[in-house]
Amino acid sequence: MVSLLSVMLGLPQGDYIELHRKRHGYRHDHFERKRKKEAREVHKRSAIAQKVPPSSPVVHSFGPPGSYVFLLGFDDDYELCIHFRCTLNRCVQALGIKGKMFAKKRYAEKALMKKTLAMHEESTSRRKVDDDVQDGAVPAYLLDRENTTRAKVLSNTIKQKRKEKAGKWDVPLPKVRPVAEDEMFKVMRSGKRRTKQWKRMVTKATFVGPSFTRKPPKYERFIRPSGLRFNKAHVTHPELKATFNLEIIGVKKNPNGPMYTSLGVMTKGTIIEVNVSELGLVTPAGKVVWGKYAQVTNNPENDGCVNAVLLV
Amino acid sequence: MVQYNFKKITVVPPGKDFIDIILSRTQRQTPTVVHKGYAISRLRQFYMRKVKYTQQNFHEKLSTIIEEFPRLDDIHPFYGDLLHVLYNKDHYKLALGQVNTARNLISKIAKDYVKLLKYGDSLYRCKSLKVAALGRMCTVIKRIGPSLAYLEQIRQHMARLPSIDPNTRTVLICGYPNVGKSSFINKITRADVDVQPYAFTTKSLFVGHTDYKYLRYQVIDTPGILDRPFEDRNIIEMCSITALAHLRAAVLFFLDVSGSCGYSIAQQAALFHSIKSLFMNKPLIIVCNKTDLQPLEGISEEDMKLVMEMKAEAMKTVLGQGGEPTNDEGVLLTMSTLTEDGVIAVKNAACERLLNQRVEIKMKSKKINDCLNRFHVALPKPRDQKERPPCIPQAVMEARAKEAAEKEKRKTEKDIENENGGAGVYSASLKKHYILSNEEWKEDIMPEILDGHNVADFIDPDILLRLEELEREEGLRQAVEEDDDFEMDGKELTSEEQEALAEIRKKKSLLIQQHRIKKSTAESRPIVPRKFDKNKEFTTKRMGRQLSVLGLDPSLAINRARSRSLSRKGRKRERSPAYDGGDAMDVDVDTPKKKLRARSRSLSLSRSRSRPPSEVTPGEGFKDSAQKVKAIKLGKKSVKMRNKDARNGRGSNNDVLQSSRQLPKFARSYGGSSSIRFFIRRFMVAASKEAGNAFWSDKFTFTSFSLPGYMLFWQF
Repeated sequence: MVSLLSVMLGLPQGDYIELHRKRHGYRHDHFERKRKKEAREVHKRSAIAQKVPPSSPVVHSFGPPGSYVFLLGFDDDYELCIHFRCTLNRCVQALGIKGKMFAKKRYAEKALMKKTLAMHEESTSRRKVDDDVQDGAVPAYLLDRENTTRAKVLSNTIKQKRKEKAGKWDVPLPKVRPVAEDEMFKVMRSGKRRTKQWKRMVTKATFVGPSFTRKPPKYERFIRPSGLRFNKAHVTHPELKATFNLEIIGVKKNPNGPMYTSLGVMTKGTIIEVNVSELGLVTPAGKVVWGKYAQVTNNPENDGCVNAVLLV
Repeated sequence: MVQYNFKKITVVPPGKDFIDIILSRTQRQTPTVVHKGYAISRLRQFYMRKVKYTQQNFHEKLSTIIEEFPRLDDIHPFYGDLLHVLYNKDHYKLALGQVNTARNLISKIAKDYVKLLKYGDSLYRCKSLKVAALGRMCTVIKRIGPSLAYLEQIRQHMARLPSIDPNTRTVLICGYPNVGKSSFINKITRADVDVQPYAFTTKSLFVGHTDYKYLRYQVIDTPGILDRPFEDRNIIEMCSITALAHLRAAVLFFLDVSGSCGYSIAQQAALFHSIKSLFMNKPLIIVCNKTDLQPLEGISEEDMKLVMEMKAEAMKTVLGQGGEPTNDEGVLLTMSTLTEDGVIAVKNAACERLLNQRVEIKMKSKKINDCLNRFHVALPKPRDQKERPPCIPQAVMEARAKEAAEKEKRKTEKDIENENGGAGVYSASLKKHYILSNEEWKEDIMPEILDGHNVADFIDPDILLRLEELEREEGLRQAVEEDDDFEMDGKELTSEEQEALAEIRKKKSLLIQQHRIKKSTAESRPIVPRKFDKNKEFTTKRMGRQLSVLGLDPSLAINRARSRSLSRKGRKRERSPAYDGGDAMDVDVDTPKKKLRARSRSLSLSRSRSRPPSEVTPGEGFKDSAQKVKAIKLGKKSVKMRNKDARNGRGSNNDVLQSSRQLPKFARSYGGSSSIRFFIRRFMVAASKEAGNAFWSDKFTFTSFSLPGYMLFWQF
């Protein structure tokens, strides 16, 4: 493989093959062999696809990347496509993780290839031009009519308020699976004989405020293990389509009950308040918003992180 | 000494392959079977292991990348700058820095998820956590994909860099493009550099090796340099500049006097002056090439002036190294690589000047003291005018001369053969070198078979010697015997006295023997039991006889001895009779109190009787009394001292020679075999003490015993 650098800087001293070619030219059957090798490539690949050996060394190298370019460069190369489709149809799925990986890779390649082919096809085929209708365009027979407009103009703030009211409980995850108490808590035994069972340990992710201090263990009914405490969440802004790692301010509501809300348990569907000062959002009045609600969209205890969608 | 070999850097896999390698490794090398029913700690451990293992592998792989790629600040500045020119230091450092960050991130992720896994309460939860952990690690690697690709490209390019040792003897060739630098290196080394008639054929550094004065020199061909500001120079030119700046080498500045390279002498001189700061402290030679097209003498006045200016500049380097100002040879040289005219002269001049400079620097350095300390050349000062040549005795001189002459003169068999008609005609006589007592016997004919016997079987070369020896031995023995007789019989003793003497001697020897026997049976050794006392020597009768001879009354002693064997058993249990008066002493009296004893025993039995040893008591662990008896027996047997019954064992060292047949004949003739054995042993012990243990070799023979006098000496 000739790297970009060596192209730029000429032949390094160790590149004796290139030097030889430069001096004496290619081997007499070089191009013939190359052509044959390329032609053989598809067969080889299908053989691999049908039986990837458990530890095949060539799983990730299916010929030079240039071969795809070659394929895609020709619009009328349907035969190969058909060939691929056929092999796919009668293909025996290779076994194991390597087989799966291979199949997935091929699938992606083929999808890309089809898309590209379709694109090329589009450029050649003729069809009617279908221009978009401009906003406010009126057919000719209605041209003489006058349009009526609403007289009353709602102020921007009122509009905003209405919107907020209407969408108050309109959250991305309207329904969540209820979490039973025995799933939420683990019973801890205490006492010298381990017979007392009034202590509970929260098994879900929790948010614990920075100023929280534990009660003395004798009186502590609910234990929120420090390993499961989170104070940051990955919050996605649905309109910006961007995700930010924001600090959690508090748990607003846990759908499973007020007790969980007060404990700061974060399960799927919980509304949390996050610090959005980094985002630089501004209220209509021009103040910087710093706290906003977001809904947790994953099971934090299973994923090891809190993902949430900003409620806007 | 750092080896600048960038060929050993391991391959950097592209991001996707990297992930596949690591994940499949985790899959292969950690356990894969897990069930819901397992204890939760086991489940947690199972998944924690996977997370940890993946992290370790990532860490290992990324660490190799970070460690194996050279740090530009740590390597030789030549390589540091070269790599900077080729790959851009910032980009390079950024890529490595990203790899390092990724490594740290992955470690952190693993730590976090292992912590979370500790709270996992189900298989599902543990598994999801593991998936999340591995996924996040892979994402990190995916992000640094471009950096990995860049590093891989650099690795491939670095592996192909010529292996230049920056510290060795180096000759550096520089100049404008197309002035014949590559042709020159091709002439003096085996580096197969491409030569083409256009500029910038050589685009990177090339290295070749040549020999001068049995030393190896590294010759570096650099790409051509154009005369333009430093900032405008491209990568190719910068390679040359780097080499010029950092290598301590002899620099050959090539000048195309013909101008066929496309640049005039004036342009080339301008370049020379613009980069002359790079030639500081280096032996510099100006080489005028292509003299076949245009000899140096033929150039115009102005050009000549320029060349002379350059020469003056180059002379400064000579002066800087302490050379003489008049010595201008090896500063300006002409050659033609086409006709090979002056090529070797250029090489030699460059190598010579470089060598001189290096030696000089070494002599000036502090290290030289370490070397010089080891040298010592002793040159004694002449104390007077007298000449003191080495003294060789006249005889030695003569002998030497003679030896030499003899060596020359000595006639070989071959010479003789040639004199007598050559091979095939002359046959060499083997008999003439025989060593015989009489010279005349040499040519005698000796039969091989005589009277049906092989003569060789009967040849004994030293038969006479042995005969003589035997005779001498015999004579000695006779003399000793006579001596003995003389001693014994010399004194005039009466027959009674003689008898008494014989008696005394007999008794004496008997006592000695007995004493020795007694000595051999020391206290702890088993005594020969009676049944092996075959001769029945020790009888009561004998004792009585001996006692009566001494005038004592033996009856008591005999009785006691007899009773002893019987009484032993009884004595153990005997108690003093409690009510029978105070006669507790059990003494030898004529009337043994048999009745009384019997009564007392029966009484004592009835009074207290300990358990019979065979009775089984609970807790002892025996099944029945038979088993216990057996166990007791075994126990007793095992602690019993072994009685070898007077037999010989392996450990017994009481004799060296087992049978008299092993002794030489003369020894057998003296006394019985057993007594002789004894004496021989004594002798050997004494002899070994004298001569050390070397005497006891296999070669030990009985020749020493051939003198009976010794034997007798040792006997008494």
